[in-house]
Amino acid sequence: MDMLRYMLRRLLIALVTLWIIVTITFILMVTVPGSPFSDERSSNEAVQANLEAHYNLDDPYYMQYLLYLKNISMLDLGPSIKQPNQTVNDLLGRGFPISFELGMITIIFAVVSGVVLGIISALRHNGVLDYLSMGFAVLGISIPNFILATLFIQKLAADWEFFPVATWSSPMHMVLPVAALATGPMAIIARLTRSTMLEVLTQDYIKMARAKGLSPWKITFKHALRNALMPVVTIMGTLLAGILTGTFVIEQIFAIPGMGKYFVESINQRDYPVIMGTTVFYSTFLIFMLLLVDIVYGIIDPRIKLHKKGGE
Amino acid sequence: MKKFLVFLLTVLTIAVLAACTTGEDAGEETTDESETEAPEESGTEETEEGTEEESSGDKVLRLNNGIEPTSLDPSIGFDQVSWDPLNNLMEGLTRLDQEHVAAPGAAESWDISEDGLTYTFHLREDANWSNGDPVVAEDFVYAWKYMLDPETASPAAFLGYFIEGAEAYNAGDGSADDVAVTAVDEKTLEVKLEAPAGFFLDVLTNPAFFPVNHKVAEENPDWHAEADSFVGNGPFMLESWEHDVEMVFAKNPEYWDADTVKLDQIHFAMVNDTNTQYQMFESGELDTASIPPELSDQLIDGDDVFIGPYGGLEFFRFNVTAEPFQNKKIRQAFSYAVNRDDIAQYVVKNGVEPAYGFISPGFTSPTGEDFRDVNGDLVSFDAEQAKQLLEEGMAEEGYDELPAITLSYNTSDTNKAVAETLQDMFIENLGVEVTLENQEWGVFVEAQQNLELQLSRSSFINDYNDPVNFLESFITDSYMNRTGFSNEEYDELIANGKSETDQEKRWEYLYEAEKLLAEEMIAMPIRYYNTVVLESDGVSGILRHPVGYFDLKYADKQ
Repeated sequence: MDMLRYMLRRLLIALVTLWIIVTITFILMVTVPGSPFSDERSSNEAVQANLEAHYNLDDPYYMQYLLYLKNISMLDLGPSIKQPNQTVNDLLGRGFPISFELGMITIIFAVVSGVVLGIISALRHNGVLDYLSMGFAVLGISIPNFILATLFIQKLAADWEFFPVATWSSPMHMVLPVAALATGPMAIIARLTRSTMLEVLTQDYIKMARAKGLSPWKITFKHALRNALMPVVTIMGTLLAGILTGTFVIEQIFAIPGMGKYFVESINQRDYPVIMGTTVFYSTFLIFMLLLVDIVYGIIDPRIKLHKKGGE
Repeated sequence: MKKFLVFLLTVLTIAVLAACTTGEDAGEETTDESETEAPEESGTEETEEGTEEESSGDKVLRLNNGIEPTSLDPSIGFDQVSWDPLNNLMEGLTRLDQEHVAAPGAAESWDISEDGLTYTFHLREDANWSNGDPVVAEDFVYAWKYMLDPETASPAAFLGYFIEGAEAYNAGDGSADDVAVTAVDEKTLEVKLEAPAGFFLDVLTNPAFFPVNHKVAEENPDWHAEADSFVGNGPFMLESWEHDVEMVFAKNPEYWDADTVKLDQIHFAMVNDTNTQYQMFESGELDTASIPPELSDQLIDGDDVFIGPYGGLEFFRFNVTAEPFQNKKIRQAFSYAVNRDDIAQYVVKNGVEPAYGFISPGFTSPTGEDFRDVNGDLVSFDAEQAKQLLEEGMAEEGYDELPAITLSYNTSDTNKAVAETLQDMFIENLGVEVTLENQEWGVFVEAQQNLELQLSRSSFINDYNDPVNFLESFITDSYMNRTGFSNEEYDELIANGKSETDQEKRWEYLYEAEKLLAEEMIAMPIRYYNTVVLESDGVSGILRHPVGYFDLKYADKQ
């Protein structure tokens, strides 16, 4: 019951947050100069007026705003101005599953390898393995993924022909983009795991466990890792939301038809419904992920009780 | 729960360790055996592909469209990514031939009235839609009125304004019935023009004037959105269309000239990264590609490079309502200070031509000469003259010191390089220091439109094959003017240059107009555009028109 009330409260807060986001985005959109119809191509006033009327851009701003709120409350994100045969729902409905697939594989790969690297370095603190994996992690953090992507394409695809260059159709096509995309998050997770793991390993209860004669395996995984994972779970919310909704650069380089491009191109093209649609979609997703993280906290650390307000 | 967690982690750890070891193995292999193994692999792959194609006997061309077409509705997709494919799926009354001249397309022949106002087109008896329906005059009437309907909001609608009653209808002041395009009978179409336009047959090659199967469209207004419902009358038909991924065209057996078409299939990928598409070309996944700017020096002289003219101009607009460019001599001085050869050769590269006039080469006059050759060089590089003109201009305006000048461009690497070169040239040849300013595209266009910029970058791509297309931008209060320029003599020259029925005379007006534009120096031409494409061995016959959209009707692949 407490849990239910907690969820309802979170839902209400989420709705208010979304409304604020929509409003701010709308204000920003109408403030930025430019129009979706400004083009290098010839045009004239009548044509421009017809286009504006077609997309209701000639209405007063408050009308546009109210119309938008009305549509969005019915989960209708409107038509895309730059792809007139498609609605924003179509675009996101098509792009999101692909971005999600790429993101999910990436995240699993990054978390698993990151945590393992982190544990190894913590257990072999200041040993060769530690330096190797942390060196690897530092490289992973410092090299931007688009450099990695270009390098992979040049060497692994074009020169040695192990993998296809680009597009998204078979598991072989997925290897390079996933590798390029996962390296950064993996490195972050590895470093985070290592530092918290080191901290945890020096604590009294671990010494106690050792003294009790538990196996190192059990100590590491049952007692230490569980606490060491908390910060990793914390960053997972934003990481998931970011990666699962697509990444502009990687999708562009590998010609993956995900939704990452809409975040960037819609703004350049002033495709207002798409700007709003991607923003709302991303925000909703992020809010949901953060909620998920809070719930996972409770599972990993029974001391954290969600439904009790802090301090109560 | 706890046991489950431990189990899960163990499984994951093992999985990763396994993955790591295979990864390492793979890494070793690459370093040890890459030299021997890789070529072998590629060799077998190529032969496999080869036999596959030979066995089925299909000629498949693999192209890259860059991105998803905006729309395959001929009235809506007003850009190259839509009209390039569309030009191969459909056909207008006329079609550009191998000499880039408007030739019979869906229309077999036509009659033009004495006064140049009434065109009567006779459609081919064997012109059919890909669903088997005959192409009828009503299909054109339907398509054009649909384009002009203000409700459609077609960005290309202004191209239809040559037709009587079209402008009024599109601007919301007239009705569809007053648009003077009528189906006399099934295969005869009559069009009345607002004023004579000697280039109307050329305008008709534009995809905006393609017919629409009115029976199909009336039943399903979204007929153009998916491959299943798409109906065309061109050399190819839309076999499949996976949005954002790929379009596949197949030869259209219903096309009247199907015997000429050699390709069986065309794949249009949508790869929007210049490097990626180049690598795909290199690895044989694409048959044509553009040259990534970084590799231009290295690749431009290769045997597999096609370089052709492209009807377009990069130029800078002077704002004649802002100081100091209200003065003609100061404007001229800036133009004289620019060394266009250097910009074309060392800055823009990729084989582009410097522009010494506004109209790019490739427009053939009624007497068979090239517009550019007849009108010659209208601007030049002359530092001495530049300095003198600047002095005279400043004296006329009573300037002791030139007001501050900002040169604006929309953000892009090439634009930046050109702007910086110009800045250097102005310092060196004029002793004037201009400030550079780059703006995001939308912001930039709005500022230019509102005459807020002094000297700003611009470009023009032709919509139809006539010099008037560019020149009329600068008539008084034109939407495309963007300079504040207004000159009665110029307006009159353009009016005559559009409507004079004697073609030779009409061109005379246009020659005069271009000269006047250069003399007044309203815009400073920099360089012409071109088309540069890498084509793999065995690909031939892709028609790339200087003005218009590419044509694969005659294309072949060995």
